[in-house]
Amino acid sequence: MSRALSIGVAAVTAVLLGVAWLGWIPGVTSSTITATALRALALMGLNLIFGVVGMLAFGQAAFMALPAYFAGIMDRMGVPLLIALPLALTMVVLLARAVAEVLVRLPGVYLAVGTLGFGMVVEGLARAFPSWTGGASGLVFEHGRNFGTNVWCAIAVVSLAFGVGCYVWYVRGAVWRRLRAIRHDELAASVLGIDVHREKAKIFTIGSAYSAVGGLLLFHYVGVLIPEDAGVVRSLEQIGTLLLGGAGFLVGPIVGAFLVDWFFVISGYAARYELVIYGATFLLVVMYAPQGVSGLLLRPWKRLAGDKAEKAPVVEIRHSVAAVSSDSRVSGRPCLLLHNVTQSFGGVHALVDISLDVKAGEVFTLVGPNGAGKTTLFNIVSGVLRPTSGRTLLDGVDITDLPVHRRAALIGRSFQTPRLVPELSVLANVVLRVDQLSPKLSEQARQAIALEQLRMFELENLSYLSVAEVGLGQRKLIDIARAAVGNPPIVLLDEPAVGLTSAELMHLSEMIRKLKRQGCAVVIVEHNIEFVSNIADRGIVLDSGREIARGTVRDIMAEESVKAAYFGALS
Amino acid sequence: MNPLTQSLISGLMSGAVYALLAVGLVLAFHTTRVVNLAHGESFAIGGLVAATLADAGLPAYVFAPVAIAASVLFLLAVERFLLRPRRSWPIGNLILVTLAAAFLTRGVLQLAMGVDPLSFPRMFTGAPFRIAGGVLPPQGLALIVIGVTTAVAVTLFLLFTPLGRKLRAVAENPDAAELLGVNVDRARSLAFGIAGALGGLSAVLLVPLVSVDYQAGLGMTLRGFIAAALGGMAPATVILAGLGLGLSEALVTNYAGALAQDPIVFIALIAVAVWQSRKIAFGGTGRA
Repeated sequence: MSRALSIGVAAVTAVLLGVAWLGWIPGVTSSTITATALRALALMGLNLIFGVVGMLAFGQAAFMALPAYFAGIMDRMGVPLLIALPLALTMVVLLARAVAEVLVRLPGVYLAVGTLGFGMVVEGLARAFPSWTGGASGLVFEHGRNFGTNVWCAIAVVSLAFGVGCYVWYVRGAVWRRLRAIRHDELAASVLGIDVHREKAKIFTIGSAYSAVGGLLLFHYVGVLIPEDAGVVRSLEQIGTLLLGGAGFLVGPIVGAFLVDWFFVISGYAARYELVIYGATFLLVVMYAPQGVSGLLLRPWKRLAGDKAEKAPVVEIRHSVAAVSSDSRVSGRPCLLLHNVTQSFGGVHALVDISLDVKAGEVFTLVGPNGAGKTTLFNIVSGVLRPTSGRTLLDGVDITDLPVHRRAALIGRSFQTPRLVPELSVLANVVLRVDQLSPKLSEQARQAIALEQLRMFELENLSYLSVAEVGLGQRKLIDIARAAVGNPPIVLLDEPAVGLTSAELMHLSEMIRKLKRQGCAVVIVEHNIEFVSNIADRGIVLDSGREIARGTVRDIMAEESVKAAYFGALS
Repeated sequence: MNPLTQSLISGLMSGAVYALLAVGLVLAFHTTRVVNLAHGESFAIGGLVAATLADAGLPAYVFAPVAIAASVLFLLAVERFLLRPRRSWPIGNLILVTLAAAFLTRGVLQLAMGVDPLSFPRMFTGAPFRIAGGVLPPQGLALIVIGVTTAVAVTLFLLFTPLGRKLRAVAENPDAAELLGVNVDRARSLAFGIAGALGGLSAVLLVPLVSVDYQAGLGMTLRGFIAAALGGMAPATVILAGLGLGLSEALVTNYAGALAQDPIVFIALIAVAVWQSRKIAFGGTGRA
C-alpha cells in the first residue's frame, strides 16, 4: 500500500474517532472507543500473521489473555504494576517466540490445529487453576479504575496510533515484498533466498506482541478476564472481525473492530439476533468480498493512486552485483558436481546413482520423459530436497546439507510456471531477489540494480506493469531474469521454452547466451528438442531416474537408447 | 466401583464418537482437500433436531432417522452451495468459508432451538451391564458397537468397493479422476452426505447420555479433527486414533482430573503434528 494512501486513511480514521468521541455517532461513547481501539490494536497482530503473511493462526485470543493473566497473578503476589506489566509482556513475547519456533514449521492445516490447540491449552489451564486465575468467574483487575474514562480513551487511541506507526514504519519496502512473497509461494520465496521459517517466526512473534499489548490494556480497562476470553471461539471471532474489516490492509483491523463493536452497541436491543447476524455477515464477506470492507472502500481509490505509487523516481546508481563475481570466473572450470546422488521416496527410486559435472560457461541439459527425475534433480541442486545418498558440490564446496535459502545466492532457479508475486509490479518482483542478495544497499540502489537487470535482458519496458498485465511468455522471461540477478554461478531453468511465442523463444535464446557469456553454468530441463539442440552444449538423458546416455547434445540425440526411451512413440 | 474400568468405558464411548466424526472429516477432506470446520455442526443439528422431535412426543424410530437426515442435508448444502461454486479458490479461503458457515449455523441454532442444553430419552434401555467394576448402560454399549461398526464399514466401503475407489481417485487427483469418467461433483456430494450421516448418527447415539446445545458444533469439529490429524488423515487409522483419543482423555481425567484433559491432549496433538510434518516442507507445496 502506498504511503500517501495510508496517511490519508489514518487522517480519515482520526477525524472519525474525533466525531465519535464528541458523541455524534449514535451509541458510540468514549468508553466504546477505548475498547474498540484496544481491540483494533490487538487485531493488528492477527492482521500481520494471518492477513499479511497468510498463516492460519486460530489461537490469537490466547496471546491477548496471557499477559493479562500474568500481570494479574503478579499483582496478587504483590509485584508493583510498573514491574508487572512490562514483565508480563516480555514473558508472553518470549513464549510467542518459542511457540512460533515449533508452529511455523507446520504446514497450513496443522498450523491451524496447533494454534487452535494452543488456545485450548491456555483456556484449559485458566480453568484448571482457579486459585490463580479466578476460574470461571474471572480474574478481576482493580488498577484500571484509577483512571478516568477520558484518560483511558487517550491511552487507547495513542497506543493504537503508535501501533499503526510501527506497522507503517516496519512493513514497507523489502519487508513488505518479502512477506507478500512468502504469502504467495513459500517454495519460490525460499529459492529466492528468503529464510521462510525465520521470517514467519518473526512475524508470529511481532503479531503476538501486538495482541499482547492490546489484550493487556483491554482487560485492565474492562476489569475482568474469564477463561473463554483466551479460547477458540474468541480467536475465531477475531478472524471473522478481521475478514470483515479487510485482512491484509493496514486499516482492516480498525475498520473491522469498529464495525463489529458498533454493530453490537446499536444491536443491543436485539441481542437475540447478534450471533446469527454476525455469522451471516461473516459468511457473506468471506464469499463475496474476500477483501473485506476496506477492500471495497479502497478499490476505486487504489485505481487512481496505486499505479503512480510504484513509479517513484529511481536514482541511477551504476552499482551492479553482477560485477562482483563474473570476472573471477573462468569458462570451462568445473562448477557444479553431483556425486552418486540417489533419491528415494519410500520405496520409489526417483533418482539412482546420478553423477554430473557442469562447467562454468556451458549450457547443460537434462533430457527425459515425464517422471524421469529431472525436477527431482533440480530440487536436489537447489536444496528443496536432501538426497537420500550422494553429495552436491559447488565450486568445490560441499553444499549437500545447506538449506535452500542459504544456497540461494549461488543458485538462480526459474520455474515451469513462473512463480512471480502477482500483487507486486514486475520491477518489485526482481527487487525481491536483489533484497536477498544485497540487503545492506539502500532501497533506491536495489531498485536501480533490478532495473539494470531488466534492461540487460531487454525487459525494462515491462518494469512498472503489474504481473497480471504481463503475458505468460513474458512472465517466464522475467522469472529467468530474476533468477539471474547477481550473476550466480548456476542458473537452473525448468522448461523455459514451454508456452513461448517464436519471438519470445529468440529472446530466450539470447538471454541464455548472455548468461553463458557471463560465465554462468546454465542447466536446462526442456522438452523442445529443437530448441535444446541449438542452445545446449552437453547433456544427460534420464529415464525412470537412471542415466541412459550422456555427452554432447549431438551425440545423445543420436543414441539408440535415447530414441527408444524418449522418442519411442515416433520411431 | 472401579474408577479405572469406568473411565475406560467412558473413554470407549467418546472414542467411538470421535472416530465417527473423524471418518466423516477425512472423507470430506480427501474429496475436496478442505478441512470442513462446519463438520461438527452436523452433530449439533442432529442432536437438537432429535431432542426437539422427541420432546414433541415422536418415537425413536421417527426422530432418529429424521435427525440424521437433517445432518445429511446440512452437509450436502455446505458442499453444494458453499464449496462447489468455489472449486478454484485457494484451500485457505475455503476453510474460512466453512468456518463462517459454522458461525452462521450456530447463530441459526441459537435462534431456532434456544440456548438451553437439550437431551432426549435413550433408545436402548434396560439394566446397565457391570463389567469388572465398571458400569455400561445399554445406550453406551450401542454407541460403542454401532459407532465402531459403522466407522469400520465406511472404511471397508472406501477400500474395497468400486464406488469407494472412485471416491479415493477423486482424493488423489480430481482432474485425472474427471478424465477417467468419475463424476467429481457427485463423488463430493456422496462424501459430504456420508459425513453428515455419521455426524447425525453420533449425535443420536451420544446425546441421550449427555446433552447438546447450539454451541456444541465447533468443539466436536475440533475433537474429530484431532483424531483425524492423529491418524494421519487416513480412514483406517483415524478410527484407532479416535478410540485412542477417547481413551487417553478418559485416563487423563481419571488420573489428573477433568480440567487437565484439554491441555494434555492438545500438547500431545501439537507433538504429533510436528512429528508428522517433519518431512513436509513449505506448507505442503507438492510439486516444485
